[in-house]
Amino acid sequence: MPVNIESTRFGAIEVPDDAVLDFPNGLIGLGGTRYTLIAREESAPFLWLHSLDDPSLAIPVTNPWFFFSSYEVEVSDSEAERIGVSDPAQADVYVTVRAGEAIEDFRANLRAPILVSGGRGHQVINEAPGTSVRTPLFEEVPAEASVA
Amino acid sequence: MLGDDTSIHIMEIVGNNVRVGVDAPKSIPVYREEIWTAVKEENRAAAAAEQTKLPRPAARA
Repeated sequence: MPVNIESTRFGAIEVPDDAVLDFPNGLIGLGGTRYTLIAREESAPFLWLHSLDDPSLAIPVTNPWFFFSSYEVEVSDSEAERIGVSDPAQADVYVTVRAGEAIEDFRANLRAPILVSGGRGHQVINEAPGTSVRTPLFEEVPAEASVA
Repeated sequence: MLGDDTSIHIMEIVGNNVRVGVDAPKSIPVYREEIWTAVKEENRAAAAAEQTKLPRPAARA
């Protein structure tokens, strides 16, 4: 059964059954148990992780390796066991993006990536050293606006 | 004990540092509070974004 939501940002959306992602523990501090990934433009690196329970809840996410080529994800053994993903390389990895007024204010949360595998998603704590919850996003790859 | 199946215990005290252990069912995530709080704040700030505010990155050289 597809899920229909009336997104406050994007209007009416029909989410096919196989695009529904279960988040057994929600997102840290935000909750929610069902989300989906929405792409607004085919070539854009940003996706929206949209709640299917709350039509106003959506978070921009991106593939971290697009912006941080040497990014690493390590999860503790207990966390790996909890989420049923022993190797982060087997999961799709996304990081949340915090928009800013200016390009240089954009931040990515490299400390708490979201691992998606087999229709399930978990936000985990990354144990790799030196990862910050607020890493400047456009450092390695500049934004087009600042190049023009 | 917290409920029937979660326990917290002091593992070690060295000087001013205390190591705390948590035994909880595998399905329950356990986080240090300062990390949980930082991630929660970051998630909430990220969720405040308007859809028009995402810039387009330049192509990699």
